Amino acid sequence: MRRNKWPLLVAALLALFVFTAAGCGGDDEGAPTPTGEEPGQPAAEQVITIAWGAEPPSLDPGLASDTTSANIIGNIMDPLLRIDHETSEPVPNLAESWEVSEDGMTVTINLRDDGMWTNGDPVTAQDYVYSWKRTLSPELAADYAYQLYALQGGQEYNGCEANCDALADAVGVRAVDDTTLEVTLVSPQPWFIAQLSHHSFLPVHQATVEQFGDQWTLPENIVTNGPFRLVAREPEASIDLEKWDEWRNADEVTLERVNGRIIVDGTTRVQAFEAGEVDALDGSGLPPDEIARLKELPEYENYPYLGTYYYGFNIENISDVNQRKAMSLAIDRQTIIDNIAQADQQPATGMTPPGIAGQEEINPNSPWTPASGDIEQATALMGQVSSPDTKINLFHNDAPGHREIAVAVQSMWQELGLQTTIKAQEWAQYLEFIGPPPSKQVDVYRLGWIYDFPDAWNGLSLWTCESGNNSTNFCNEEFDALVKQAESTPDEAERFQVYAQAEQIMFGEDGEVPFSPIYWYTLPNLENLSIKDTFFIGPFNDMDLTKVVVTEAAA
Amino acid sequence: MTTFIIRRVIWTIPVVLLVIFMVFVMMRQIGGNPFRVTERNVPEAIQRNLERKYHIDEPWYVQYSYYVKGVFTYDLGPSMRLRTRSVNDIIEEHFPKSLQLGLYAFLWSVVIGIPLGVLAALRPNSIFDYGAMLFSNVGFALPNFLVATLLIYYAAVRWDLVPTNGWPSGEGIAQLWAVDSRVILPVFALGLFPLAYFARLVRGAMLETMQQDYVRTAKAKGLRWRRVVGLHVLRNSLIPAITATAPLLGLIITGTFVIEIIFSIPGIGRYFIQSVSNRDLSVVMGVTVLTSVVVILANLFVDIMYGFLDPRTRDVRS
Repeated sequence: MRRNKWPLLVAALLALFVFTAAGCGGDDEGAPTPTGEEPGQPAAEQVITIAWGAEPPSLDPGLASDTTSANIIGNIMDPLLRIDHETSEPVPNLAESWEVSEDGMTVTINLRDDGMWTNGDPVTAQDYVYSWKRTLSPELAADYAYQLYALQGGQEYNGCEANCDALADAVGVRAVDDTTLEVTLVSPQPWFIAQLSHHSFLPVHQATVEQFGDQWTLPENIVTNGPFRLVAREPEASIDLEKWDEWRNADEVTLERVNGRIIVDGTTRVQAFEAGEVDALDGSGLPPDEIARLKELPEYENYPYLGTYYYGFNIENISDVNQRKAMSLAIDRQTIIDNIAQADQQPATGMTPPGIAGQEEINPNSPWTPASGDIEQATALMGQVSSPDTKINLFHNDAPGHREIAVAVQSMWQELGLQTTIKAQEWAQYLEFIGPPPSKQVDVYRLGWIYDFPDAWNGLSLWTCESGNNSTNFCNEEFDALVKQAESTPDEAERFQVYAQAEQIMFGEDGEVPFSPIYWYTLPNLENLSIKDTFFIGPFNDMDLTKVVVTEAAA
Repeated sequence: MTTFIIRRVIWTIPVVLLVIFMVFVMMRQIGGNPFRVTERNVPEAIQRNLERKYHIDEPWYVQYSYYVKGVFTYDLGPSMRLRTRSVNDIIEEHFPKSLQLGLYAFLWSVVIGIPLGVLAALRPNSIFDYGAMLFSNVGFALPNFLVATLLIYYAAVRWDLVPTNGWPSGEGIAQLWAVDSRVILPVFALGLFPLAYFARLVRGAMLETMQQDYVRTAKAKGLRWRRVVGLHVLRNSLIPAITATAPLLGLIITGTFVIEIIFSIPGIGRYFIQSVSNRDLSVVMGVTVLTSVVVILANLFVDIMYGFLDPRTRDVRS
């Protein structure tokens, strides 16, 4: 009966397979091993694993332009100041103090004298001069160079074609001495101090950059100055940080190691979390079809995120303001949030989200953005429109979630007698379509804006006539004048009034409603109960890993 | 045979040139700004700086010549999105992992699929046959990303048998035999469809071959059934399977894209998809040319195997 041996052999092979799998299974890296201490106490092993939603394209502060890079850089480097999450006010960090001159054009920053690079060199003001000019240099072609246009001569240097050294010298930053940095601004921008928390203002170690060129961020070459250091990196797979024991405040840092796993797919991230392989996600979003289930878990956490999700109108196509008001009124934001977005977002009543300094005064509480919509008033207003644009093309990019919202809005607008065609596009093509200037086909487009620093100017300056982010064809001279005026209004109360007026122009009773804000973003996240109390994502999607403590999970 | 191989290898060059040309033309057609990553528009000066850095501001024929030269000197330039990595680095780092995944999936489909088909053919209409064909139908019907997600859910999350994602890494050529438990699920998911295909194909071919006159003659001659099957039937039945290998290899290569994303495998497939969305022309170019060379070599391999199995085809060529 020799031929009956074959199925036996196959079965044996399969069984062997399964047993090896069972034997090697249960990869539990990162979960803290209980040591028999009481729950709530710091665990013996202070190691966590975070799932990053994307590979950081660059750890060079001058080149980074995405949140993953920003988060890692923000923990391996020492920012001049941080933004306090409760008060939205800047808190000194590596900068001990700062003074702003009377006319607001000069800022003097005093550095602490215990800032240090990982190779032993002290952090000096010269480091900042070198780094900021490097970020502005045309050769580096940094995406975020525009953050440094606040400096006098910054924009000129960045746009220089030839003979750039003279322009480089003219940039408004100089080192008065080793710990004093003097910045000359191009206008008395009152938010400059808050802007300094952004990663593009972090210094780089000059000798390292000059020695290794674009390989300076490799773990074997990199020199940093922050609480953690980069110890291992496998592109697209993992990125590991370890506490740097010689950091100036190292005794306040409890975490010993932060392992990062790069998991691009949202569902896989959640599965890795539920299998115990990662301790926290990085706030880059939960899959829309699982949010309802995940919200019930004790590990679920939700943070405000400073950003506005909106539908922009092409004013040239939808030229009657009553139609725009009607379309905005018809949108039932709360229903969209409760049933589609499902991450406890807040229905937006203006451009500026809560969390921006002065938002209570600035927010127009627009009559055109009621949380549950107002179909009666909307229909009445539509009736007043003499020649309405009844065929609406609604464009959105094909990322998850947008289509469902568009379908909901489509049915809401149908009650106004509008026939909406939804067009989904791939991201790069979508950006070409909306320009600006937007393609003629675009009637309504979906976009979001995430704030860089906690001043309303960052969001309101988008809507000026010349703004490269204004695809609505909205151009109001009074609005532009107000935005310009804010640039020279250091007094906060006064400035908030200016912002409030600007918001009124867009969303007040007589507002032009160039776009309809839908909601203000949130960051839904999953965090292991052992770190949930101390793991925190700030409103700029910024993580401060020095505050995280692994506790014994409750039994 | 040798002239045959040499001719095929030489033919690769015009094919590669055609591929470069088509990729170049198509990427220009789809437009899009490779430097506008988020919704923020890129300020003019910065856009100019970036275009200058990546030679996009030069006339199209100059850019085209950069790419042609780059491909043939194996200096594929820097990635436009990942500023500090060159396309060469990207390929050398990530292609071995995809190659490993594809090879393992192919081996798994062959090692399990072909014997499954053979055994099913030897016991037609038995429980084993029905079971094997049911398994094969399921393998056809379910898309590999669905299988992948289900596997992760049950095997990794619920029963905690294996990790949910990731892939072992090894230096250089050692990558090809770097193995740990993370290999199991992706290989299973990717190889399922080819496995099903092979099983069905071999079963059908064997059943048909066994009806042939020469098989009946061999049995009548008194040859042991094992020898008849092993020598005559099997060899002839494998020919359609070999024919199927070429498109199946192509399927595996494209299948890696989805599997790599789901299992967080740092392979080249993910780069391929992402670089098109990113409009990262140098990466698209490098990976496309690489993929075409791999497909050409795979087809060549299949044709050579064909020659070994079927002596009739050997004399027709050369």
